[in-house]
Amino acid sequence: MMNERERLEVLKDILFTDDRHYVDKITERIVQLEQILHDRNKLSGKVDPIVSAQIEEFTKNIPSTLGPVITATLKDEIKHHKDDVVDALYPILGKMIKKYIAQEMKMLSEKIDDQFSFVKSAKRKMQSVFGNVKEEDLLLSELSMAKIEQVFLIEHDSGILKAGFSKTETIDEEMISGMLTAIKSFVEDAFNKRSQSLELIEYELYQIHIQSFVTHYVAVVISGNYLTRSKNKVQDLIFNFYNKYMAMNLDLVMDLGMGNGEDDEPVTRLEIEKEIAKYFGNAKI
Amino acid sequence: MQKSKKVLLLGHFGVGKTSLIRRFVSDSFSDAYKVTIGVHITKKVVDLPSGTNLSMILWDLEGTDELHLIRNAYLMGTHGVIFVFDVTRPATFQNIQRDLDIIKEKVKKAPVLIVGNKMDLVDPADVKRLLDENDIDSDYLTSAKTGDEVNEAFLEMASQLDA
Repeated sequence: MMNERERLEVLKDILFTDDRHYVDKITERIVQLEQILHDRNKLSGKVDPIVSAQIEEFTKNIPSTLGPVITATLKDEIKHHKDDVVDALYPILGKMIKKYIAQEMKMLSEKIDDQFSFVKSAKRKMQSVFGNVKEEDLLLSELSMAKIEQVFLIEHDSGILKAGFSKTETIDEEMISGMLTAIKSFVEDAFNKRSQSLELIEYELYQIHIQSFVTHYVAVVISGNYLTRSKNKVQDLIFNFYNKYMAMNLDLVMDLGMGNGEDDEPVTRLEIEKEIAKYFGNAKI
Repeated sequence: MQKSKKVLLLGHFGVGKTSLIRRFVSDSFSDAYKVTIGVHITKKVVDLPSGTNLSMILWDLEGTDELHLIRNAYLMGTHGVIFVFDVTRPATFQNIQRDLDIIKEKVKKAPVLIVGNKMDLVDPADVKRLLDENDIDSDYLTSAKTGDEVNEAFLEMASQLDA
C-alpha cells in the first residue's frame, strides 16, 4: 500500500508533467550557458561583437559626450596651470610655431623693406658716398637673385650620395656629401640635439639649405640673395621632389609585392637625377 | 654595377690612418705629421673582379686612445671598418680586444679589418713575436711609407663590401 507521501508524489507527477519538461529544458540551457561562461573562446565569440559595437558607438559619440568635458578640462588646465601646459606642448609645437612665426616675421619685414624702397634708395646713395662703392655695384648686389647651383640627395646615416645635380663642375659630389654629413652630424651631436637638425650653412655668397627627412636629407646649394620668399620656394621644391622620390620607391615596393620578378629593378641614380633636374633645374626662386 | 660604401679608419693617435689613405688614394707619402681634427673624407673608386664599380668613401677619423668617446654620429651607416695600430708602439695594440669590442658594439654587422702599420720601421720577425705575445691576429701588416700591403688591405675591404 502506498503511504500518503508516495501518493502525493504520484499526484504531482500526473499534474506537473508539462512543468517538469520546462524545468529539464531550463536546466539544460543553464548547463550550456555555464559552458559558454567558462570557455574563453565561446564567451568572446558572444561578447566581442557586443563590446566592439559598444566601443564603436562610444568612439562615435566621443565628440558629443566627452568633447565638452575634455574642452572644459583643457580650459581649466590652461587657466590654472598655464606653465605646465606650455611645458608639455612646447617640445612638440614650439619649434614648429617658432619657425613659422620667424619666417612670417621675416617675410613681413622684407615686404616692409620693399614698401620703403625710396628709403632704400637713399640708404644706397649714402652707402655709395660714404662707403666709396659705386651705386651701380650696390644696386647689382641687391638685385642678385638667388639661384640653385647644386642639389644633393644624401642618405642620412652613411652620408652616401644617392643622387646629385649640379650646374657647375665642383669637387667630387660624393666627398661633398660625406663632409656635409660629417658637419651636420657633428653639429647635431655636439649640441646633443639629435631631435633637431642643421638647416642652413652659410659660406660667403653661398648658402646650403638642408632639409632632413627620416632616411635621407636634401641639400640645396644656393648663390645670390637668399631671402625668405626664396627659402619658401626652395622648401616647396624640396618637398615636391621628395614626395616624388618617395612615390618612385613606393612603386618599387609595390612591384616587389606583386613579385613577377622582371620589373623589380631598383630605382637607378640616373632616374633620380632626372627627377632632381626636372624639379630644380630651371626653378626660379 | 655601381655601389658606394662608407669605410671608417679607426685607431689611436699617430698610427698612420691618414698616411694609409693617402697612399691608397693618391699613391703618395709625407713624413710631416699633421693631426687630423674631426674627420676628413676622401674617395677611391675600385673596379672589382666581380664587375662592381665600388666607390669607397673613406672616413678618416681623428685618432683617439678612447674609442668609446668617438661620436656615434660619425659611426652611423658605416659599411666597413679598418682598425689601424702602430707596430712600433705597443700602447696602440695592447688593448686591441677591448677596442675591437667597442667597435663591434657600435658598428654592428660591418666587417672589421685589423691593420698593423709602420712595418718599414721594424724587423718583421720582432713584430711577429710581439703580436704572438699579445695574442693579436692582424689581417695585414702594412707600410704607408713604402706602400707595402696597403692596396691589398683596402682591396680586401672592398671585396668584403661587395660580397
